[in-house]
Amino acid sequence: MPEKNHFDVVVVGAGPAGSMAALHAVRGGCSVALVERKEKVGIPVRCGEAVGLRGFSASLALDDAWILASVKKIRMVSPGGVSVDLINIGENYVLNREIMDRDLADRAVAAGATFFGATPILSVKAEPGNKYRISGPGGDLYGSCVILADGVESRLARDAGWDTALAPDDIESCAFCRVTHESIRDDSIEFHVGRNVTPGGFAWVFPRGSHTANVGLGALGSMCTSGLAKERLKAFIERNYPGATIHTLHCGGVPVGRWLKPLVKNGVMVAGDAARQVNSLSGAGITYALFAGKAAGETVAEAKRAQGMDWAHLHAYERKWAAYCGKQQMRSYALKSMLLKNDNDAFYDSVARSLAKEPPERLTYMRVFFRTFARHPLMLLKTFFLFR
Amino acid sequence: MPEKNNVIVVDRPVCDECGTCISVCPQNAIALTESLVIDAEKCILCRRCVDICPFGALAENGKKGAR
Repeated sequence: MPEKNHFDVVVVGAGPAGSMAALHAVRGGCSVALVERKEKVGIPVRCGEAVGLRGFSASLALDDAWILASVKKIRMVSPGGVSVDLINIGENYVLNREIMDRDLADRAVAAGATFFGATPILSVKAEPGNKYRISGPGGDLYGSCVILADGVESRLARDAGWDTALAPDDIESCAFCRVTHESIRDDSIEFHVGRNVTPGGFAWVFPRGSHTANVGLGALGSMCTSGLAKERLKAFIERNYPGATIHTLHCGGVPVGRWLKPLVKNGVMVAGDAARQVNSLSGAGITYALFAGKAAGETVAEAKRAQGMDWAHLHAYERKWAAYCGKQQMRSYALKSMLLKNDNDAFYDSVARSLAKEPPERLTYMRVFFRTFARHPLMLLKTFFLFR
Repeated sequence: MPEKNNVIVVDRPVCDECGTCISVCPQNAIALTESLVIDAEKCILCRRCVDICPFGALAENGKKGAR
């Protein structure tokens, strides 16, 4: 490690959450270390890479260079093959996370953060004098506060006293790859549900241009067996894209529960997948990670100006999170829990048949959910309050 | 505590190092450094990691060998 190893903030993980935290902390006047386990930021991409512009723009201006495809239509396919098309979906894009993640880390560094690549961190320990020692095989770093943005595989938050182990109902075991096939449309996203597709989750098709798509699926942890996601993905691709070339096959876990509470303990903050800040229904985590990272970084900068890098100042991060994305996540969690109670093929088919009768231009997300729970008065009522 | 005979083993060529197993391990027995490492002492053989692995890279193997 270089001579300078004392910082106001040490950010662990240079994904969207970590880089945003580093960028905003440094802009706010903090000295920042941004530490990444891997040599290169953003590789391999473990993500579906789709975002809604509205949520994204709340934290960051979308750079044209990151856009692979613009989505005009969302198609949902029921177990029996009934398609429902949504076109009232706002602006949605499929992004190149590899480029986006690299650019965001570069921005943090250009603003003044010190980057440590290929630097795994094994422990975070409180030291006398309100300091934290962040240690790995490469040596020690010291920070007045620490932001843990080390992904779904985070162990550090556990070391710092959180119980981060995900319950089997709160994680999707996912496999995904890139598929090139002439039938892939470059302007529409697809979601497929059904027991023959995957249990307790869905398969996705997110276009990346030139008839190539990020195709993947997730199976709910409680319904998983070893290697299920990969087997099901291969079967899905054989059925839907016979003879297609598969490349860049990867896997990953997506948290679909509630976010980690509290988000701040003393001088340690958690953000992004490490904090389980993911939409429980869609598994979308990019916009939440950007928001959380920015909120955490800004909060640290405010704390430094107030000369108090402690919980009393840092827990403002949790308030910011809960008031915006946190609210959305709770709503998605409630909807996911209701859906899981009705998770059977006949249910999805009957909902799809009734939705397919409506003209696509009239369908909105809200209408879809009202229709979904139309025959369940209690859930209908709950849905009403969730969308109020 | 009864002696544990079995261990969870990683099939390294199959493992994608995604860390999904880490997120479900109730014992914090799994770490991702240069590759995936399972601490047999901490492991309680609950098999959550085995079932969650998207690629099927983890398995419970009999007999830890001579101890």
